[in-house]
Amino acid sequence: MPVAAGKRRAGVASKPDAETLERILYFLKLTREAEYRIERVLYRQGKIVGGVYTSRGQEAITVGTAIQLIDGDVVTPTHRDFAAHVIRGLPLAEIFCNWLGRVGAPTRGRDGGPHLGDIRRGIIAPVSSVGAWCAVACGAALALQRAGKGNIALTFFGEGTSARGDIHEAMNLAAVMKLPVVFVCNNNAWAYSTPAKKEYAVKSLAVRGPAYGMPGVSVDGNDVLAVYAAAQKAMARARAGKGPSLIECRTFRVTGHSAHDAAEYVPERLKHRWEKKDPIDRFQKLLLARRLVTQERIAALDAAIQKELDEAIAQAEGSPLPEGGDAIKGVYCEPGDCWSK
Amino acid sequence: MPIRLTRAQHHELYYFLRLNRRVDEQLTSLYRQGKVVGGLYSGLGQEAVSVGTAYALEPQDLIGPVIRNAGAMLIRGFRPRDFFLQYMGRRDGPTGGRDGNTHFGDLARGVVAPISMLGETVPVMAGIALAAKIRGEKRVAVVYVGDGASSTGPFHEGVNFAAVQKLPLLIVAENNGWAYSTPIEKQMAVSSMATRAKGYGIRAVTVDGNDVLAVYAATRAAVARIRRGGGPEMVECLTMRMKGHAEHDDARYVPKVVFEKWRTRDPILLFEKYLAAKRLMTAAEKAAIEGRIEHEIRGDVAFAESSPLPAPEEAARSVWA
Repeated sequence: MPVAAGKRRAGVASKPDAETLERILYFLKLTREAEYRIERVLYRQGKIVGGVYTSRGQEAITVGTAIQLIDGDVVTPTHRDFAAHVIRGLPLAEIFCNWLGRVGAPTRGRDGGPHLGDIRRGIIAPVSSVGAWCAVACGAALALQRAGKGNIALTFFGEGTSARGDIHEAMNLAAVMKLPVVFVCNNNAWAYSTPAKKEYAVKSLAVRGPAYGMPGVSVDGNDVLAVYAAAQKAMARARAGKGPSLIECRTFRVTGHSAHDAAEYVPERLKHRWEKKDPIDRFQKLLLARRLVTQERIAALDAAIQKELDEAIAQAEGSPLPEGGDAIKGVYCEPGDCWSK
Repeated sequence: MPIRLTRAQHHELYYFLRLNRRVDEQLTSLYRQGKVVGGLYSGLGQEAVSVGTAYALEPQDLIGPVIRNAGAMLIRGFRPRDFFLQYMGRRDGPTGGRDGNTHFGDLARGVVAPISMLGETVPVMAGIALAAKIRGEKRVAVVYVGDGASSTGPFHEGVNFAAVQKLPLLIVAENNGWAYSTPIEKQMAVSSMATRAKGYGIRAVTVDGNDVLAVYAATRAAVARIRRGGGPEMVECLTMRMKGHAEHDDARYVPKVVFEKWRTRDPILLFEKYLAAKRLMTAAEKAAIEGRIEHEIRGDVAFAESSPLPAPEEAARSVWA
């Protein structure tokens, strides 16, 4: 079902060109397939170290925003922003190494799957204390503001996290100092087993924006072009030195909190209703209907993605597990390690 | 909404305003004599907020004051001597000489003692409100926060939780323009603390914090709605911190013209003008109140000054169960 074009056109500076549309489709599909391999194949084969958290059904939020990042920008993803890593160029093989706990991983086998990042690519790795990274994003944004090159910090958090003090302090500071931050709230209706109505007493988290003195909007998180348009506006504002913005993306967590959570507390009918609004299906149908992509191209894309994943996983599986004797390596500085000019 | 107060109640309000100020002045005098242990934080110029709010409560309600709310603590039943004993670190003070400042309370008098970490009392008072709700008690929990404290994470978590759970919590947002040397425009990018309330979906009103009757009226109305189960609310009181953050801070960063402007709006001065205009207090009645206060202060200072310091051997008492 094509998204109403009128809704997208309003306030959009420039619609994505054909190349960008295809890149969006590629990253959406890559994320879905990669996470399928992690959750439904590797995890069930007992090869994953630690828990598994996916962004299934919520990919449009990460892709629609992160695809617009430029060199020098910084992103602080959550455990449900797989796409952010691949968009910023972190090799798939390294990502799988992290999930498999191998030496070739960015964390060299020392932390679990979603806790990965790469400061050289402007990705600040998340930690389990959700929301702590929003204040970190403000720090990065302050540095970027002072560098004066128009770079921004993109930070994600869930509606459960929105109830934490970290978010409040980050948003307030960003507004006061007019920091170039784009706050993206993934409102997927469930924080583990806590429903959204127990996280806030307002109709939409978008109202938190003006409560701090920044614009706040709410968009359909399963419509990648709506997310794209909102992010475009917010990023332009930040790059122009006009300060932060808040974007609430409404979606639904169609999985459990993690692979080990059967989520029996989520009503089945709600899950099914949202599965029908799958963001990738919708976007693909839209592109086909508007003849921006052909069935052949899609098939080629799907095949290329499978091949890419096969190779990345094979490479990752070939990476060794860390040696016990190396456990303390990198915990303390070695001479010549840190802070060299 | 007209709030009917009797002549006697007007006098009570006046008494507490003057008492609040006299305690403050006496503490300053003791501080300058080197008799205070630790710092001294004044509520000069902000008395109407403490007095107007606390006077609107019922005996079963509880307050979570902070350092500049001595007036509220006096209304809940603490006496001047409690402040003098506490600040001078004496054994018979409310914390046995173990803490300074207004870091004292008494659950029997419905006062939850504050600590230095501002904003932390918000989740605590939300917890008290939750207990009241669970027990079906008609209690209201009142928490005081400054403009600076409203930027803290605990403020957010406490207010949000109270809003979601529809708890009987009143947030008195005491906006005195400064958090130490941070002016309000560097504290928040919105024009008032009441705007923050919109992010939680709670009702908020902003009043002149130097008008004790306006503060009283707004509090009374809010507390009535909260007691009926209407959920948390915020009453923002606009006032001015007329001294530095503490006695050791000369507030040189505050433009002199700001102090000059607010001096003309002194809350006690404003109330005296009102009482005179409405013929609610004669010169004799005023003198009687002043005399009563002087008598109390003199007696309590003497008592406190002659009170012993705690014995070092007692240091670990009531640290462990």
